[in-house]
Amino acid sequence: MPPGPKSPPPVPALETTVLAKSYGDLVALAPLDLTIPDGQRVVLVGHNGSGKTTLIRMVAGLLDPSDGTAAVFGHPAGSMEARAALSYLPDNPVLYDDLSVLEHIEFTCRLHGAEDWEERAVGLLSDLGLTNRADDLPSRFSRGLRQKTAIVLGLVRPFGLLLVDEPFVGLDPSGREAFIELMDDAAASGATVVVATHQLEYVEKVDRCVALRDGEVVYDGPPGDADVLALVGA
Amino acid sequence: MAATRQPGADALDAIRRARRARRAGSIDPVEALYRAYVAAILAGIALWLLSGVVGGTRVGPAGAARVAAHAGPVVGLAVAAILAVGLRSGGKGGPLALEAADVRHVLLSPVDRALALRPQAWRQMRSAAVAAAGVGALAGLLAYRRLPGEVVAWLAAGAVVAALAVLAGFGVALVVSGLRLGRAAGTLLAVVALGWSAADVLTGTVTSPMSLLGEVAVWPLRFRPLGVLGVLAVGAAVAGGLVAVGGSSIEAAERRSSLVGQLRFAATLRDLRTVVVLRRQLAQELPRQRPWVRLPPAVRLPPDPPTGRGARGLPSWRRGWHGIVRFPALRLGRMAALGVVAGLAGLGAWRGTTPLVVVAGIALYIAALDAVEPVAQEADHPDRRDGYGIEAGELYLREAGPSLVAMAVVGLVGAAAAAAAGGGLLAFEVGATLALPAAAAAVVGALLSTVQGPPSLFSATDSLMPPEMAGVKNLVRTVLPPAVAVVGVLPLLAGRHPAPHLGPLGATAATLPEVLFVALLALSWVRYRDRAVEWWHQSMEEAQSVRGQGRQSAGPRGR
Repeated sequence: MPPGPKSPPPVPALETTVLAKSYGDLVALAPLDLTIPDGQRVVLVGHNGSGKTTLIRMVAGLLDPSDGTAAVFGHPAGSMEARAALSYLPDNPVLYDDLSVLEHIEFTCRLHGAEDWEERAVGLLSDLGLTNRADDLPSRFSRGLRQKTAIVLGLVRPFGLLLVDEPFVGLDPSGREAFIELMDDAAASGATVVVATHQLEYVEKVDRCVALRDGEVVYDGPPGDADVLALVGA
Repeated sequence: MAATRQPGADALDAIRRARRARRAGSIDPVEALYRAYVAAILAGIALWLLSGVVGGTRVGPAGAARVAAHAGPVVGLAVAAILAVGLRSGGKGGPLALEAADVRHVLLSPVDRALALRPQAWRQMRSAAVAAAGVGALAGLLAYRRLPGEVVAWLAAGAVVAALAVLAGFGVALVVSGLRLGRAAGTLLAVVALGWSAADVLTGTVTSPMSLLGEVAVWPLRFRPLGVLGVLAVGAAVAGGLVAVGGSSIEAAERRSSLVGQLRFAATLRDLRTVVVLRRQLAQELPRQRPWVRLPPAVRLPPDPPTGRGARGLPSWRRGWHGIVRFPALRLGRMAALGVVAGLAGLGAWRGTTPLVVVAGIALYIAALDAVEPVAQEADHPDRRDGYGIEAGELYLREAGPSLVAMAVVGLVGAAAAAAAGGGLLAFEVGATLALPAAAAAVVGALLSTVQGPPSLFSATDSLMPPEMAGVKNLVRTVLPPAVAVVGVLPLLAGRHPAPHLGPLGATAATLPEVLFVALLALSWVRYRDRAVEWWHQSMEEAQSVRGQGRQSAGPRGR
């Protein structure tokens, strides 16, 4: 039987090529080659200052690389296509002072051209216990509630790659559990999830663990094969 | 075919309209009127001061012809200075000051960044241009007092040129930022703009776009169509900026968004030290890794052999110098430039324009705010400072020595500038005589400002004061430090009309004891401030407890 036409190799969700960041003499991230296939769940671990946040922020388009490139589903990081495909959840939620939670959600969904978002928003608000606070201004919220608002905003819009940086900071145990479930749902629906965390309970749930130390990759493989405690700096 | 807009762009428009309406709804009309009233009073004071600077003597036809021939390039040099600020700001990712949430939500969304940033850029440009037009109109009014021409024409010319200059500054900044030319290119372009304009001034020609725009300023005297080209150049700069704005760095936008917010808050609180620190962060003005001059090391690190002895010299003196020899070139350049400004203003005051003495004092005060950085580092970290086992006031005084030396050098730079600008040997002699006392007054003024820290928002002792007293206290906090610095240059005025037996230099020197007395008085406050504040707080607490006991003994009142 003659061989059929070859299908093109799948485009990875995230691909970095000698991606590097330095501030003068300080190397925040050494040249990094990393490929994360579509649909994979990856955890980034490492001590404070190891380069996790730098990597995530460069992929999100918030930091300009000193060298190399990053691509999101084949599009240069920071390009409009990459921004449409990527949802970034930072460790410090930044919200408008004069918009309520619901107004934030509406604005975000309309910016991203989301359709039928109302039902998804109601579900997320309920999962994170924000239903009763939907009309309140997040500027009057506690750190944890602001973090929950940011989580809703990160998940309510369409995305193919979810980038999460230290997501559990400020969350109470129920909020943490709800968020892990929401990330599980995102992965189950086919999204690629990349999480930078020190949280051991989440490290055990992923397909792949990438450990950074002083801006360099020191481990890349299944989390079960590594001394995760040492890698996360616990 | 009709162009279709992105859905995100509609969302942006809608949310901006809604937020604007909400903000407008939250404005208290009484407060707005009060602000306008205060602004009118301040504008009146500024006008009165500036009128004094300019004087009211009308310039004759020959003088007016000279102004018409040469003022264009001179105004162009001022325009070039505005452009230089813009170009340097653009090189560092400015001048846009976005809301942090806009960076996170709008710029990371799939909306065309040019579309998202253009309205913000235009709004910022517009506000700055309106403010500049006000200042320009004021300058036009002052020009009208001395030059022939219609008042409306002078007002319009001043307002238009100032607004266009600011628009051009914003435009070129956005071009440099949007094309990501970087700091070096921004600085280089700034030098080119200034150099080109300076060459026009020196040669009396009109070749640079800045000088062309400057020609518009003298249209009330003489209409030269050449100025239209300057206006067109501004239009090109603004259009270029608005086209390029989409390419601006998000990293710079995010850094600026957080710093600009803090900067505005600190300025609202009149917390000058925080403003200075944040402004340096915004300009990425960092201490040098390698000092300009290396002091003899206290310890030698391996593999060098140990010295076998400890560090020589007073530790506070060494600490002060360690900080100063790491000042970045930008800061040293700024201090020297402020010295030149002080010298030229001093020369102007010496020649009869009395209010310029305030400009000279303020310039030295601003330079001293940089010079006292080693002391400010101690004031910024009270926990560390209190761990030294030395009273804070004494520590400040010990570490201020090198700052005084640095400021004396700035004073000498000013004296040299005054001499070079036509003051001759006498200007240098007077300047050199004043350098140390004026430096001392400026340093003490800067110390007063730095060590007082931010104003307390909810002070229990302030709550006991009547509102009028609290207002006076705030005024004193704000005005006293620069006033002490201005006192340092007042002997200039004494030297203008000397007694025959003293001569100008002698008359200037004769008033130095008064300056030193004021400086010592202020220095004593820096030295003993903590004790005085503690005593005051204790007294207030006692007063409060006595009042509380009085109420208790009086018992509950019937309703």
